[in-house]
Amino acid sequence: MMHRLRYIYQMRLNFEEPVREHHFKLRCFPSSDERQKIFNEHIKIYPVHFSNAEKDSFGNLCIYGTANQMHDHFAVNVDGEAEINSEGKVPAALNKIGMFKYETNLTRAGNSIREFHRSFEPMNYMTGYERAIYMMNELYEEFLYTPGITGILTSAEEAFTLRRGVCQDYAHILLALCRLERIPCRYTAGMIPGEGATHAWTEIFDAGAWRAIDPTHNRECDDTYIKISSGRDAQDCAINQGVFYGGGRQTQEVKVIVHEILPQS
Amino acid sequence: MDYDGGKINMSILSRENSERLFWLGRYSERVYTGLRSIIGSYAKNFSLDETNPESAVFSLARAYDNAIVLRDEIGSETFSYIQLAVYEINKAKKSLTPLIHLQKVIDNIAAFCGMADDSIEDEHARGIIKLGKRIERVDLYSRMNANVEDIRREIRRLIYRLPKTGLRYDAETLERLIMLANDDSLKRPEIVKEVEGLIKFLE
Amino acid sequence: MAIAEELYAYSGGVNELLARYGVKFGIYKNGEFHEQLFPFDIIPRIINHDEFAQLERGLKQRVFALNEFLKDIYSDGKIISDGVIAEEFIYSGTGWLAQCAGVSPPKGIYSHISGIDLVQAKNGTWYILEDNLRIPSGASYPMIARELGRKSLPPEFFEKHHVEDNRNYAELLSRTMNYVNTGGLSVILTPGRFNAAYFEHSYFAELTGAHLVTCEDLVVEDENLYFKDYSGKKEKIGAIYRRISDEYLDPVNFNSQSLIGVPHIFDIYRKGNVAIINSPGNGAADDKGIYYFVPAMIKYYLHEEPILNNAPTYLPYYEDDMKYILANFDNLVLKDVAEAGGYGVIFGNKLSSSEKEKFIAMLKAEPRRFIAQEVIDFQDIEIFEGSSQVPRKADLRAFVLMSDEPVVWKSGLTRFSRNPDSFIVNSSQGGGFKDTWIMTEEK
Repeated sequence: MMHRLRYIYQMRLNFEEPVREHHFKLRCFPSSDERQKIFNEHIKIYPVHFSNAEKDSFGNLCIYGTANQMHDHFAVNVDGEAEINSEGKVPAALNKIGMFKYETNLTRAGNSIREFHRSFEPMNYMTGYERAIYMMNELYEEFLYTPGITGILTSAEEAFTLRRGVCQDYAHILLALCRLERIPCRYTAGMIPGEGATHAWTEIFDAGAWRAIDPTHNRECDDTYIKISSGRDAQDCAINQGVFYGGGRQTQEVKVIVHEILPQS
Repeated sequence: MDYDGGKINMSILSRENSERLFWLGRYSERVYTGLRSIIGSYAKNFSLDETNPESAVFSLARAYDNAIVLRDEIGSETFSYIQLAVYEINKAKKSLTPLIHLQKVIDNIAAFCGMADDSIEDEHARGIIKLGKRIERVDLYSRMNANVEDIRREIRRLIYRLPKTGLRYDAETLERLIMLANDDSLKRPEIVKEVEGLIKFLE
Repeated sequence: MAIAEELYAYSGGVNELLARYGVKFGIYKNGEFHEQLFPFDIIPRIINHDEFAQLERGLKQRVFALNEFLKDIYSDGKIISDGVIAEEFIYSGTGWLAQCAGVSPPKGIYSHISGIDLVQAKNGTWYILEDNLRIPSGASYPMIARELGRKSLPPEFFEKHHVEDNRNYAELLSRTMNYVNTGGLSVILTPGRFNAAYFEHSYFAELTGAHLVTCEDLVVEDENLYFKDYSGKKEKIGAIYRRISDEYLDPVNFNSQSLIGVPHIFDIYRKGNVAIINSPGNGAADDKGIYYFVPAMIKYYLHEEPILNNAPTYLPYYEDDMKYILANFDNLVLKDVAEAGGYGVIFGNKLSSSEKEKFIAMLKAEPRRFIAQEVIDFQDIEIFEGSSQVPRKADLRAFVLMSDEPVVWKSGLTRFSRNPDSFIVNSSQGGGFKDTWIMTEEK
C-alpha cells in the first residue's frame, strides 16, 4: 500500500547588512512524475519583486526572480504532500542519457578513487544497475558518515581521500565510480522522513528508466524518498543560486520536516 | 563608414558613459588650461611628473582612460587627438626641448575639442563634454586666481550650458553659485566648493 | 612581388595612422595590463578570385554543418545515436553546456559569427586548422588597416588593383544582429577596457551604431533585457553580441562566483526573449577534439563531400590512431584540446627523449586530452624587415557571418609569426597582422 507523506522545506538567508538587487534562482520544489505524485503544494518566497517558474534542462522545477528593495533576510517556505510509488519508472530516452556518463568537476575520479576502483572484482555479466549496487556496497564499507568535514564545493576525489563525508559526498563518489565504467547515473537531491536537512542520493539508468539508490544508507530508495531535483552533480541541483549587492556575512538556515500521514479511518 | 563624416548615431547614454564624458571634458580642459599657463615658465618638469595628480601628464592619462572607452560615443577621429596628445607628452618627457612637444599637446587638445563639437551627433553626449570643460574652467580659474571678469564670464558660460545635457544638477547649489558670481568680493574658494558639488550623477 | 615594392613607401604612413587611431590589443605581462600596437605588415595576402570562390563554398558548407550539429546535439542527438561521433567528445568537452539542452536560439542560429583558421600548404592546398565559434576576434584589424590604407595610398589604388572592398563588415555584422533580434536595440557587450580585444569591441560599436555596453548597464526585468540610460530610462534589448564567455554570462545560471554577468539573462534567452550572439553552448562544436569529426558531420548533415580539408588529424582516443601517433611521434604536432591562443602546442621533434617519455605517459593516461596533427609545410608569406622582404609563417582567419544564409567576408585576418623559426602566429605571442586582399573577377 502506498504511503502519503507530508513535507515542509524551509530556507532562510540572514544578511548581516541589508542587501538590494537580489537575484535568485531556486530549485527546491518537488514535482510530480511517474514515481511520485505531489498534492497541495504551497510555496512562499519573501521578499519578491518579480518571479517566474520554469523547468530547467534537467526537468527540475525552478523559480527565479528578483527582490529589488532592501532586505535583511530572504525566506522560502514549501510544503505539500507526496505519494511515492517506488516501483514507478521515470523513463529516460536513450538520447538524453549520454551526458550522465561522463565525469564533471565534482565527480572526477582522481588517483584515490581510481585506485579504489581497481580493487573491485571485474564486472562479469552484471547489468549497469547491478554493478552500481555492488560498488555502492564497497563504498559503504570504505567510507564513514561524518558531518562537518566536507562542504558543498568538496569534490568526490577530495572527500574520498578523507574517507569521510556526508550524503552529497557518498553520491558524488558513487557517480565517479559509475562514470569510470560509463554507467549512466545522476545526482538526486530530495527529502526523507525525519527532521533535518535535505538528502542526496543517486539514480542509475536501467532498462530505459532511472532507478534510485541511496549510497549513504546502502539501500535502494523506497517509497519514502521525495525527490526534488536531479542533474549531473550537486551543482546542477543547487537549491539556491543568488547574487546581490551588500550583505556582509550571511548565514543560511534550512529545515526539512517529512512525516507520514496516517490513512484516515 | 567615413570618419570625417562623424558617423555616430546615439540616442541613449549609459550612466557610466555620461560620467566618463563629463570627466573627459574636465581632464582635457585641465591639460589645456594647465599647460597654457606654464608655457614660457619653468614649470615643465612639474607638468611631466606622472606621480603628481596635479601634473598635465597625470590629467592627460585620465583623459585617455575615459576617451579610450568612449570610442563608440565620440568616434575614432575625435579619440585620435587624445591619443596623439599622449604620444606627444611621452616625447616631451624624453626631449631636450619639451616645450615644442607640449605645444603640440595643446594643439591636439584644441583639435580634440573642435572635433568633438563638430562630429558628435548626440546632443547630450556633446553637451556633457562641454559641461565638463566649463566646470573645470571655473574651477581652475578660481584656484589660479584669475581676474574677476574672467571668472564671471566662465560662470555665465557654465550656467548657459547646464540645462543642455540631461544631467541632474543641484538647484540650490546653482542659486548659491549665481549669488557668489554677483558678489562684489569674489570668494574664490567658495566658488570652487559650489562648482564641484553642482552635478549629481545617478547612483 | 612588385606590389610589395610599390607599397613599401606607404608602410610608415599606414603604421603611423594605426598608432594614431589607437589600434591596439591588451596583454597581461607579470600580472600588469599593457596596451600594445598590433604590428602591421603592409604586404597583403592576396587570394585570387577563383581560389577564394572555392574557399567561400567550403567555409559556408562547414559553418552550415557546424550549426546543424549544434542544433542536433542540443535536441535529439541523432548524430550520436547514429554512431557518427563519439559522444565523449561532446559531453566531456569544455564547450558543452547542459543548461542549453532543449533550448532553441532565435531563428535556430548557434554560430552567428565564426572565425575559421586556415593555412595554405606549399603545394597551394588550403587546410582548416581550427574552428572558432565562441567569440572569435580579429576582423577589426584588417578593417581599419584597409580604411587607413585608403587614406594613405594613392586614390583608387584598391580599385586599380581589383581588390574586393572589405569595408562592409560592419554592415554584415548589423545584418546578423538584426536578423535574430527579437525586438529592441542591438548592443555589443564588452567585459571592459582590460580585455585583449577591447579595441575591436569599441570599433564595431562605432561602425555599426550598436551601443557598447558593460554588464552594469543591463538589467533583466519582466522577462526582458533592458539597457539602463543615464537618466534612469530603460530601453528593451533584442540582440546582444556578447564578447564575454558563457561561464561569466549569468551568475544565477552559470558560475555564481563570477563578479560580472547579467543575472537571469539566460532565463529569458531560454524563453526566446533575447538573441545572444553567439549562442551559449556553441563551444561544443569548436573543441579541438570535435574538429576531427567535422568532415564526417558535413557528410552526415549535408550528404556532401567536404570541400575543404582538415589537416590530417589523429585522436589518441582511438587505438589505431594512438599506434600511428607513437610510431610517427617526431613528425607530429600535439595539441591540448583545452588550450587556445597558441598555448598547449607541442612539436614532437622539439622534445628531448626524457620530455618525450613523460609526454607519452601523459598521452596514454589522458588520451581524450590531446589531438595529433601532421605538421603542414606552410607556404611562407613575405614580410618587410626593414626594407628587405623575408619569408614567415602565416595563417588566415576567415569570418563567416550567418543571417538568412552564411556569408563569407571577402577579406580576413592574416596573422604571421615575426620569429623565423616559429609556427605560432598569435598576437599574444608577438605575431603581427596583414590585410587580406580578395581579387575581383577582372584581372
